[in-house]
Amino acid sequence: MFSLNPQTRKKLQRFRKIKRGYYSFLLLAGLGVLLAFGELLINSRALVVSYQGQLYFPTYSDFHPGTDFGLDYAYETNYRELKIQFQQKDEGNWVLLPLVPYNPYENHAPGGIFRPLPPNAAEQHYLGTDTTSRDILARLFYGTRIALVFALLFTACVYVIGITIGCAMGYFGGVFDLVFQRIIEIWSNVPFLYMVIIIFSVIPSSVAVTTRIGILLLVMVLFSWTGMTYYMRTETYKEKSRDYIASARVIGASNARIIFRHIMPNVLSTLVTFMPFTIVAAISAITALDFLGFGLPAPTPSLGELLKQGTANLRTAPWIVISAFGTLVALLTLVTFIGEAIRESFDPRTFSVYR
Amino acid sequence: MKKPLSTLFLAGLILLLGGCGQGETDGAGEAPSAAAETATAAGVDAEVEAYYAAHPEFFGFKTPADLPADLTWTSNEHLPEIGSPEARKGGTQYGALQDFPRTLRTVGPDSNGGFRPFLLDDVGMTLAHVHPETLELYPGLAESWAVDWDNQTVYTKLDPAATWSDGEPITADDYLFMFWFYRSPYIMAPWYDNFYSTKYTNITRYDDHTISISMAERKPDMDELGMLLRPVPRHFYRQMDDDFSERYQWEFEPTPGPYIVRDQDIRKGRSIALTRLENWWARDKKHWRYRFNPDRIQLSVIRDASKMFEAFKRGDIDQFGLGLAEYWYEKLPDSDPDVQAGYIHKTVFHNQRPRPPFGLWINTAQPLLDNRDIRVGIAHATNWDMVIEKFFRGDNERLDTANDGFGEFSHPTLKAREFDIARAQEHFARAGFSRRGADGILVNEAGQRLSFNLSTGYETMRDVLTILRQEAAKAGLDLRLEVLDGTVGWKQVQEKQHEISFLAFGRFLEQYPRFWEHYHSDNAWDRAFLEDGSVNPDRQPKTQTNNLEAFALLEMDQLIERYRASSDREEMIALSHQMIALHHEHASFVPGFYQGFFRVGHWRWVRYPDGFSYKHSDGAGELFVHWIDTDMKEETLAARRSGKTFEPSITVYDQWAE
Repeated sequence: MFSLNPQTRKKLQRFRKIKRGYYSFLLLAGLGVLLAFGELLINSRALVVSYQGQLYFPTYSDFHPGTDFGLDYAYETNYRELKIQFQQKDEGNWVLLPLVPYNPYENHAPGGIFRPLPPNAAEQHYLGTDTTSRDILARLFYGTRIALVFALLFTACVYVIGITIGCAMGYFGGVFDLVFQRIIEIWSNVPFLYMVIIIFSVIPSSVAVTTRIGILLLVMVLFSWTGMTYYMRTETYKEKSRDYIASARVIGASNARIIFRHIMPNVLSTLVTFMPFTIVAAISAITALDFLGFGLPAPTPSLGELLKQGTANLRTAPWIVISAFGTLVALLTLVTFIGEAIRESFDPRTFSVYR
Repeated sequence: MKKPLSTLFLAGLILLLGGCGQGETDGAGEAPSAAAETATAAGVDAEVEAYYAAHPEFFGFKTPADLPADLTWTSNEHLPEIGSPEARKGGTQYGALQDFPRTLRTVGPDSNGGFRPFLLDDVGMTLAHVHPETLELYPGLAESWAVDWDNQTVYTKLDPAATWSDGEPITADDYLFMFWFYRSPYIMAPWYDNFYSTKYTNITRYDDHTISISMAERKPDMDELGMLLRPVPRHFYRQMDDDFSERYQWEFEPTPGPYIVRDQDIRKGRSIALTRLENWWARDKKHWRYRFNPDRIQLSVIRDASKMFEAFKRGDIDQFGLGLAEYWYEKLPDSDPDVQAGYIHKTVFHNQRPRPPFGLWINTAQPLLDNRDIRVGIAHATNWDMVIEKFFRGDNERLDTANDGFGEFSHPTLKAREFDIARAQEHFARAGFSRRGADGILVNEAGQRLSFNLSTGYETMRDVLTILRQEAAKAGLDLRLEVLDGTVGWKQVQEKQHEISFLAFGRFLEQYPRFWEHYHSDNAWDRAFLEDGSVNPDRQPKTQTNNLEAFALLEMDQLIERYRASSDREEMIALSHQMIALHHEHASFVPGFYQGFFRVGHWRWVRYPDGFSYKHSDGAGELFVHWIDTDMKEETLAARRSGKTFEPSITVYDQWAE
């Protein structure tokens, strides 16, 4: 991790001075907090139910069948209806619903017919509904969360593999470097999209949705780590020939120590600079795959799936494509702004003593 | 001839997984004589003649004097004419295909695609055709015919005027050749081999224009079997060998019908066009003269359904199927400016025909699903009424059995199981699922969740499954949705890999339902039962058949065999009811819905006869009774520019509504 040595502190200060990137970072961080606790904001389960003097907090608990609240069914309570019922009966029971009382999977058709509903504050569908009457805000919200988590995991995996192999190639050089370069060249020529399609056509659908997402992540990582190795390899080569590495070796430092204590901190700026752009690439990739129908398995909420619906209903339900596209643009812009600011503040040429 | 292979059947824009890759029996066709294999260099003539000679019981050669004297010849002169005398020839009809045809062949690999109706099914000709109003036969290539029910033979006098599109006359030889052709291994279509080997026992040539055909069974529709036969042009298939599928891949077979595909109109991957033969031999014949009116049918490839619709709205395509509620109510509502201005007409036509059995096909070979209580529970846990109400907006009807729409052969009283959470739970509890887990899904003592895969190959029907899933969760049943590409979905059920599949089979206009394909144990397991009638413990599922439920009951097998052997209509009806009831009792199929109509939007220059279509027709374009009014097209296009409007037209033809 960053030990806050004076240089790093300087870089961070510089980052704070780049207002556009800094505010983007704050915004995204805020959004991240919201997303983490999303179930409290956008959810069909109530925050608090007070029934016969007892308080229930259904958000994170097991499901409550309707019978728990004096209803006549054994399946999950419909808290919106429960709230209305409590109000009508007026027996001191009450329900506190989240801001948007819908989950991203349920079809809520106020007119009784599944059709896209324009944004409607009275029904609390603030961005309208999609073609199967699911709340767009809920789907966007959870879709973004999944995309972000997915992108972060993707970046972490790609970095671990890319750094390890790239550093090793640069540091050891020789035959190892030569062989791995050829392997990477061959590997990076395998068409990624076809592989995704082929792999997903053989995975049985009985595999759970989370596992399928995991497999998708794995496939994407497998075909994306190669790009990182090039940068790491050249950076390591460059650092390796410097005098301080030679000194370290003379003192008798081990390879691991040299790589992790001496080379890594000096190439960190390259890594950090690339990170936001890797995230952007991951979000775009997952959205594109969803759009094509090869991404996250249905009915997982996703930006790409909404975009697809939106383009198919451009004329009749423009609000679908507007909100999905708007979210995607905003998200990618924020990350890109942060990325630019990081690149600027971490640019080694500004601080490098070898300049 | 029943359209023997599956056709990718278009109901609005809904692609049904059609398919009867399997024939009715497993009997292998007779192999061609080995001696003929050397004959390919000199064309296929020697091989064909040798084959005729090797099968004298099947291919008979007689003289007109041998015809029975007491035949009553008919040509059903009394039938009402099809089409409208107002129809005008001319103009170009513009349409779209979702995929470019993979071949111009009508048999063999890949020949069974969405373009085949334009090559064969809708524009081809057979000896006689089924009248779409009365279901009687009207003459096509035959001038008249006589049916000898006792000897299971149909005698036919061919129309001497009939010619192929390349000018060659159509003679009795083309019908004999047809049997050789379909039974030949070169075409790589075993279904045909099976069908033409087992359904027919003899074809006899009396002279160039007189033939007789004998059938193996005396079924109520025996005359149709003998008359719905399409000749194969012997002079065209001179070279027949193992290269058949490549050699004829892009060769347009001469047709007795009105439309041909010219080489210059094939733009691979982009568009293809049909051209009307100006001096078509049947141009002045009754039932044919007012049909097939456009001079040219131009079909472009538009892969995306929503783009196809936009092309229609622009006027680049003349008509568009509005079967889906989404199109009828949302994308082209009655209030649409083009509809209100009378440019685009909207039409609903109620028809009567065997209904494609949309529903859940439960694979009883899978664990848990072999338990009848679970299946009955699933039937009670699926809310089709809500699907019909919310997705189809009440336009569709609930299907009651898998064989609805066959008139007397359909069960008169059976009703599908209704959505009922309490009864579903009762049945699930009997199967050991009585406790709800943390997510509300039922679990049994062993901790196993009540969860199944529900897959489909219809992407447009995704929302139907979403509704089912949501409602099933109320009964504690978890349905994991799997929406696949059409081909992949079909492959899955053919490999019997599915748990529950949502699909329908295309239904042809037949008098009585087929049971063998879907319910005979021969199509479920390699050897379903032991000698003593008990279940064979080592049986393996049989793939590539249409028994998607792994339905195997000894009682059903016996009923099916009686049904197939029966030639008595009343007995067949009784057996049919019995089998439908047994199938219902087994609960391996959850009936979904059917659409009792078709509906289209068409620009006002596409004109239709007064009644629009016919009682048993399947779609607006199927019978080619429409015509393109070129003057009206110019007028409409000019009006669009100037803003002039016409009387809007939104018409419902419900004279045949059920």
